[in-house]
Amino acid sequence: MSGATEVRELRGQIRNWRRGRAELSLAEAIGDAYIAVFATIMLGSMGISVILNLRNASGALCTTQTCSTARDVMPWLFAGVEVAVCLGVARLFGPMLVSPAIGTWLLSAPVDRSALLLPRLAGTGTAAFVVGGALAAVGGTLAGFSAGTIAAFAVSTAAVCLCTVTLTTVVQARGGPAAKIATWLVAGLVWAAVVALVLQMLPAPAAQQRFSPAWLAALVVTAVLAVGSVVRAVADLPRIHRDRLAPGGSLVPSLSGALATLDLALIYDILVSRRWLARSTVRPHRGGPKGAAALVWRDLIRLRRSPQTVVVPAAAIVVPYLGARLGIGEGLVLLIGLTGFLAGLGLCSALRVLSRTPGLMRCLPLERWEVRAATLAVPAVVLLVWGLATAPAVHEAIVGTTWGTACWVAAALGVAALTAVTRWMTAAPPDYLKPLVSSPMGAVPTSLFGSLARGFDVLLLLCAPLLLASPANGAFISLVLSGAVLTFLLHRP
Amino acid sequence: MPSKPPLLRVRGLRRRFGDVDVVADFNLDVRAGKAVALTGRNGSGKSTVLRCITGADRPTAGTVELDGVKVDERSPKIRRDLAVVMDDMDFFPDLSVVEHLDLFAQAHRVEDVEAVVDAVLQEVGLVPQSAQLPGTLSSGQRRRLALASAFVRPRRLLVLDEPEQRLDRAGLDWLAERLSAEKAAGLGVLLASHDQTLVDAVVDNVVNLG
Repeated sequence: MSGATEVRELRGQIRNWRRGRAELSLAEAIGDAYIAVFATIMLGSMGISVILNLRNASGALCTTQTCSTARDVMPWLFAGVEVAVCLGVARLFGPMLVSPAIGTWLLSAPVDRSALLLPRLAGTGTAAFVVGGALAAVGGTLAGFSAGTIAAFAVSTAAVCLCTVTLTTVVQARGGPAAKIATWLVAGLVWAAVVALVLQMLPAPAAQQRFSPAWLAALVVTAVLAVGSVVRAVADLPRIHRDRLAPGGSLVPSLSGALATLDLALIYDILVSRRWLARSTVRPHRGGPKGAAALVWRDLIRLRRSPQTVVVPAAAIVVPYLGARLGIGEGLVLLIGLTGFLAGLGLCSALRVLSRTPGLMRCLPLERWEVRAATLAVPAVVLLVWGLATAPAVHEAIVGTTWGTACWVAAALGVAALTAVTRWMTAAPPDYLKPLVSSPMGAVPTSLFGSLARGFDVLLLLCAPLLLASPANGAFISLVLSGAVLTFLLHRP
Repeated sequence: MPSKPPLLRVRGLRRRFGDVDVVADFNLDVRAGKAVALTGRNGSGKSTVLRCITGADRPTAGTVELDGVKVDERSPKIRRDLAVVMDDMDFFPDLSVVEHLDLFAQAHRVEDVEAVVDAVLQEVGLVPQSAQLPGTLSSGQRRRLALASAFVRPRRLLVLDEPEQRLDRAGLDWLAERLSAEKAAGLGVLLASHDQTLVDAVVDNVVNLG
């Protein structure tokens, strides 16, 4: 009997056990499927309608040169971001992984590993192909491509996304930093394209809207690459070591648990912990100041040890400038706040660890607010400088703003981003000991759904004065509000 | 001559979860230079008592005083005097073993940080792991790091929840020796333990919770 047959039999056995424990009847399953299909069609139709309306609206509203160019290059940016995200997610999970149970029972058995992993490769590759293609189609539609071009662009992008999954699988089998380098390379290319767009150095791709032989060539090349990479990945499946399959399998239940409680901060903890676990050792730095300043000193060491925590906000500075060039007006306030908030999350790992670990906090002979303030010192400086660096964008986007006022607004937005990050990092997880409310998902704590809005709520509160009042007054009110919220967050239990 | 007041005084401690009193009317004194052990079966309330004493949990009733002052875990003075190693200890994922100990010692303004930390690292046998990140340590090494964090800083009372957990024989011998030295230096020690050998070697007074 061949190895593949053995695996089929084992999988069939497991399927048989599962069927024996099925809780749904066939009629109930068909009913559920009907609702799922109906909901998909209905929501899909709504989504397509929104996209088509946006396509028409964007054509009419795009009046600036940068906006027109941005609309033309948007599908390529979409595709670049998709490939970078696809690479990142594939690297995060493996992309090949097995559940802890399969890892224990089947990976240690003398069975053909490729037969075990082939369904996983097929599933992951299909997901990358479908999602990548769908998002590319959205990008092409918004850019005003013709139907034939949209199809060619979507299929080509989908094929590239499939390639990223299969080639990451090959790297997983053979080892080496190729996937990591590719991720940074693609992300760097997307960033460079955005910078070129902001600097108006990017020419609009000529006649891309119409289907042409070049599209056909792209389609053929990407399809050949995809087929070749799939063949290579399938051949390499038996070579993947068990220690490269297990981590992804243990990550999935951890992330699922965090998502079930809508605890995004827990996902952050899991990813940070996983990243450092992979690094295993560091070059220790000794010495430094005493008291609360010791915590600030450690944050400086973190910056040196993990430069991407600064590189990300530094790279993200291009987003507000893109917003200003696209002519989004006062919407820039929200864009700056949101970008600063998301880019600043990586700076506050010490605050997060101390907020979730009372045992560690107990080791420090300092007031709670002193500890939190010390862990916020470095992020505060970085985000304040980051905010001030957006002042030219504010000056350009908000009509009638002087340079002085633009600096105040930019500083207020930097502080607002810091406050939102602090809110996100210091919030307690949902408390299941408190009264629960009934919901279609079962009994849930009252704080569960609110946990999704953490950080964003404070950001909205602090941006509101800048949107509702004059820029100078709004900046002042926002800074005062930030001070009050930060004081509360530093002192909360 | 009146006797010296106890370093730790617990009176009428009660912790109720729902309809169940996990701990009720619990009294305890720990004097400087003495060690007290809480023993008993699983679920008898040992860890709950320690959590209430250290402020990790709020008692339903009762008072806890350290040197005559009500224990409030938010107070820096209490945190300075109370060195606690319980099972809720976790570490920074991005700081190495030696950097953790340096940080604790620096935060407590220890005079010669490097000398103190190096001596404790040597003692707990973590010198080869000093550059490792905590996530890569074995459970026993993580326990040693947690214990080391209590020894690199000033303290008056050591509170340890089952410190013998995950330690090998050599580690247990070291722990017994170290806790005896702590007593000899005039510190109070309060521990919950299932290890009779450790209790016999270190403890002056055993409180059995059932």
